[in-house]
Amino acid sequence: MAEAALEIVDASAGYAGRMVLDAITLSARKGELTAIVGPNGHGKSTLLKAISGLVPVTSGEIRLGGSRIDRLRPDQIVERGVIQVPQGDLLFPAMTVHENLLMGAYANSGGLAERLDFVFALLPKLKERRNQTAGTLSGGERRMCGIGRGLMGGGEVLMLDEPSLGLAPIVIEHIYEVIFNLRREGRTILLVEENAVRIAEHADMIHLLDNGRIAWSGLGAELMARPEIVETYLGV
Amino acid sequence: MDVLIQIVASGLTLGAMYAVATIGLSLVYGSLNMLNMAHGAILTLGGYICYAVIVHAGLNPALALLAAAFVCALVGLLIYFSAALPLLRAENFETNIFIATIGIGSVIENLMLKGFGPYPIPQPLAVGGQVVIGNVHIPLQNVFILGVAIVLMVGVAILLQRTSAGRAIRATSMNREAAQLMGVRVGRVYAQVLALSGALAAVSGIMISSIATLTPVMGGDPMLKAFIICVVAGLGNVYGAVIAAIALGLLEAATQYVLGVRWSFATLLLLVILVLIWRPYGLFGKQQVVRL
Repeated sequence: MAEAALEIVDASAGYAGRMVLDAITLSARKGELTAIVGPNGHGKSTLLKAISGLVPVTSGEIRLGGSRIDRLRPDQIVERGVIQVPQGDLLFPAMTVHENLLMGAYANSGGLAERLDFVFALLPKLKERRNQTAGTLSGGERRMCGIGRGLMGGGEVLMLDEPSLGLAPIVIEHIYEVIFNLRREGRTILLVEENAVRIAEHADMIHLLDNGRIAWSGLGAELMARPEIVETYLGV
Repeated sequence: MDVLIQIVASGLTLGAMYAVATIGLSLVYGSLNMLNMAHGAILTLGGYICYAVIVHAGLNPALALLAAAFVCALVGLLIYFSAALPLLRAENFETNIFIATIGIGSVIENLMLKGFGPYPIPQPLAVGGQVVIGNVHIPLQNVFILGVAIVLMVGVAILLQRTSAGRAIRATSMNREAAQLMGVRVGRVYAQVLALSGALAAVSGIMISSIATLTPVMGGDPMLKAFIICVVAGLGNVYGAVIAAIALGLLEAATQYVLGVRWSFATLLLLVILVLIWRPYGLFGKQQVVRL
């Protein structure tokens, strides 16, 4: 079994006066795809925000390669190699695609040309659109740009928050093809997804988040073999 | 034709001065969502520091300009650390910082009043001579102001468009959370923006005092006009602010010539009202701008 790249140990987190995550423990192992599934509004995005330092962790620990990162600023966490592609892309709309990609490498600009080549090879549409402002891209292109920007960070752990949200099925298929290719290349990926069926086959480990707690953990095939869990928590 | 040349020359000078005064204000609003009411006082401080360095320290005017920009940049940093940073962590930042900077501006004005007195003082950083186009005599000082303003605007544009620090400033103004996820230390960006705004205000203060005079309250009028330009352009839109500043400078010069000086400010305000009825978010503003 691969060693853990990112560990969340008994971590609680939330916003002022409202706890969202309650004593979460899970890990993302090196080179594996770890998925967080669960109903909307039960803390999946908050978990990624807590890992990125955007939401304060009130108790417990978050470790990267054995070192605590839960007291660091967001920029320091990015510098350590934890990159997040947030829900809804959060691109910089008035910047070009190229500038958005450069922003992805803001904290770590070494090997910029190679990383750009890698992103353009993986997502050729971005090369065609490189001088177009991000605000004028289609939904699928925006999502590609968000993923490309995340890859420009060259981090150790890539976190993706619902990359399929609001996209047409054919675009979703392409987005997941890119993500699964990254997994095959040995990237450590922590993926938040509402639709467990979509990723069950490819995820190395799935954690079901319900009401801010881990309700179930196991392999994708195991989850699919438990229809009562899938029906109760995921409504599939 | 001579009238037109005169109006364009005066309008461009006014517009250039307004643009430099407005860029800093717009950058700060775009990044922090902060209306810096001390901007006028910082602008005046820049003028006085330039005066003091030339007259009292006997130094070169170029050094005086740099010294004024440096000190006002430090004042910008002081505002960030003493007021903006603590208030950013609390609720109602926009209202609280608005009031706090009124207080800071008042303190700076009173310090200048105590230090330099209430009487108008001529700005020694002035260029003599004139350029003649047709029958129109344009003071070299106006040409100098226009030149400095163009250099500054190009410099700011290069900073924002071509450098990593500039991209971080733009990214922060578009979406703070996304900028943080890229590794931008937004607190540092805020401090840089306030320092840059302070330095630009200083240069603007020197320009304005060089064609008028130095008084402790001279910053009020240019700050008010800078706000008007910001609103017309769309708050936080730096490039729009430059275009609006030049356009309003030309309008003001034309109004002064056609209707008289006393009508220029009223015309400006009337135009603002019309623009805001037509486009409530300003000429270059967008309804869905993400504010911090």
